[in-house]
Amino acid sequence: MPRLILNLLAFGILVFSLGLGIGQAWGKSAKPEKIARHVKASKAAVKPLRHVASNRPNAGLAEARLIEIYRLIGKADTTRALHKAEQLVTEFPTFALAQLVYGDLLSARSRPLTEFGDIPAEQLKNANSALNELKDESRMRLKALRERPPTGMVPAQFVQLSRYNKHAIAVDAERSRLYLFENRGNGLSLVADYYVSVGKLGIEKMVEGDQRTPLGIYFVTSKLDAKNLKDFYGAGALPINYPNELDLKRGKTGGGIWLHGSPPGEFSRRPLASDGCVALANPDLEQIMRTVEVRSTPVLISRSLKWVPPQNMQPRFQEFKTHLDAWLRAKSGGDVNQFSQFYAPDFNNGKTLTEWLPKLRNQVAAVQGRQLAIKDLSLLHWVDTSETMVVTFGEVAAGQRSGSTLRQYWSRQHNQWKIIHEGVIG
Amino acid sequence: MKLTRSTVLNALRLITLVAACTATTSQADGYAEVSQLVQNNKFAEALAKVDSQLANKPADPQLRFLKGVIQRHLGKQNDAVATFTKLTQDFPELPEPYNNLAVLYASQGQYDKARTALEMAIRTNPSYATAHENMGDVYASLASQAYNKALQLDASNNALPPKLALIRELFKPNLANPKPVAATSAAKAAVTPAPAATVASNKPAPASTHTAPLPDPVPSVTPAKPAAAVTAPVAVAKPTSDASKEVEAAVMAWAQAWSDKNMKTYLAAYSPDFATPNDQPRSAWEKDRIDRITGKTRISVKVSELRVKVTGDEAIAKFRQSYKGDQLSVSSRKTLQLKKQGTHWLIGRESTGN
Repeated sequence: MPRLILNLLAFGILVFSLGLGIGQAWGKSAKPEKIARHVKASKAAVKPLRHVASNRPNAGLAEARLIEIYRLIGKADTTRALHKAEQLVTEFPTFALAQLVYGDLLSARSRPLTEFGDIPAEQLKNANSALNELKDESRMRLKALRERPPTGMVPAQFVQLSRYNKHAIAVDAERSRLYLFENRGNGLSLVADYYVSVGKLGIEKMVEGDQRTPLGIYFVTSKLDAKNLKDFYGAGALPINYPNELDLKRGKTGGGIWLHGSPPGEFSRRPLASDGCVALANPDLEQIMRTVEVRSTPVLISRSLKWVPPQNMQPRFQEFKTHLDAWLRAKSGGDVNQFSQFYAPDFNNGKTLTEWLPKLRNQVAAVQGRQLAIKDLSLLHWVDTSETMVVTFGEVAAGQRSGSTLRQYWSRQHNQWKIIHEGVIG
Repeated sequence: MKLTRSTVLNALRLITLVAACTATTSQADGYAEVSQLVQNNKFAEALAKVDSQLANKPADPQLRFLKGVIQRHLGKQNDAVATFTKLTQDFPELPEPYNNLAVLYASQGQYDKARTALEMAIRTNPSYATAHENMGDVYASLASQAYNKALQLDASNNALPPKLALIRELFKPNLANPKPVAATSAAKAAVTPAPAATVASNKPAPASTHTAPLPDPVPSVTPAKPAAAVTAPVAVAKPTSDASKEVEAAVMAWAQAWSDKNMKTYLAAYSPDFATPNDQPRSAWEKDRIDRITGKTRISVKVSELRVKVTGDEAIAKFRQSYKGDQLSVSSRKTLQLKKQGTHWLIGRESTGN
């Protein structure tokens, strides 16, 4: 019998909770009706990237358009929702989640729906897990858009970035979200954020082949063009330096952890889908590839990001800075014994501390008591079972115009900061 | 969990002036005046005007319809519900009052009632129902495709295309020709029972007793049957249950022969003076039927909701016929007029629709 119109009403009621959810969460910071535009808006608010944002075709806004459809469903405006869903899947036929929503909107015209993703049992067969993963993707996308980073705040790990770190990336694994920051002289600002997929078995990579995504502070090591890659990686890839010095110290194995795109048949992948990489939709990956720099772009991958006001970084920065300054003074002070106190007993950069001591002696001798200065300091703070500071700076002797770029890993041991690794990176 | 009123009213569109378009000239003057006031949002004035008009023509469906619309605009929801409810009782064949009733119910959050009202609106014309069902099937198929893409299933797994019901009859649109007040107010009387004697004559019954002119015939895709209107048999004759059973058996045998593509039995079910569609010669009609029926690989004809009325040697069998052929699946109302000839009940007339 004709059921169509009332099914639409029922569907509207069914997914209304979804719409309400969006509205409530947004009520904190933005007007509910602006939800769908938020991503765009937050980008537009950042002037330096505006040109980049406008370069983006509609592609990058696929998620915003999906959310707009959710919003229309929440308002029981299923006619417009269906129309927009149809446009979205026409443009992005491999956007599986959009197809699911489109399918629901169509189904609602012929039968009452009982849940989101109401695929008939005979069609679903044993694809139940696929459906659940799509629902997870939906939840993740909504959550990330509903619970926005507080304005002006930054991940607590980014204690200080130098002028050479023009951009920074932070991945919140539990939210399946990548945040892209720009460093304009006066601090970091969030310019965009994207849905991402991580390892099939989640996070905390330990060994090769465990299908987990590593947690830690990394750097983009290169840019790989799509034409040199298998189709599987989509629009390109940004490899990162897993395993980093801390990982190696802890015996972690494996490698080839990249930020990369999506294969041809998939606009986006489910939240847990990769073999440990961070996978993005191709338009999003392209945007990041265009934006970030090799070597100087930190990639923080965290279980969940802690957002803090930048000014809260100062105490930690000052506390650590006194140790770093003391180390620098010791280096020009000429006393190797005093200088070597800054190095941890378990120091290892390929050589143990004992093996490294002659090198330290040479360094001290080479300084010849000249004053040393630190330029362009960046401090990245990582806390898990222990506390680590990834320190990058230029060391310049008095009278010199340039020096070498050093990267050190400092570890807080018994309330003392000690160097566990150091090396020249440029 | 509540939908705002505006949302619902947005979703369900109130029909305000559909009836106005169909006003006949005899009523147009007074009616136009009221509808003009409605269009100009002068509802209080419109109400006074419509009430004075109704004093002269209390049964007029269009004035009453307008009154309901005015009442709703004046915020008199309950009055409007009452007005439209009464209209649906007096004129169950009109879809608009049901629709507006649904709008009112939905705005009160009474979705079950709204749903029932909308279903009734659609049922006023079987064509709507078929089109809606077909639309539903098409949406279901599109949904299935989208779900396959969502699950990234092989598209070749797609479900079979839906079997859409073809409307085989051109129904008389009962909206385009509102009945004059006199006729509608005495709607039941208008369908005069045909005296048994008339039906008993061997002459084919008059094609139609409906006053509404038929629209130009539109060629249909399937066996074209003329839009034969069916006169409702109102004559209350106590059917002998034996005769009824015989007629039922004859109808079932006819459907079975059709399903079996047993043309001999099928054609034998029709009386020699069977009124062929378009007054075709019997031989041409038979050939047509043979071609159509034996040309199918598979046919299934099911009869349900069978109701038989027997008057002497005459009988009228009304039922729902569910036809499934190779490509086609149709469920429609069917009426057979049968006549007892010897020991057999034979079909004298066959028509589709109510």
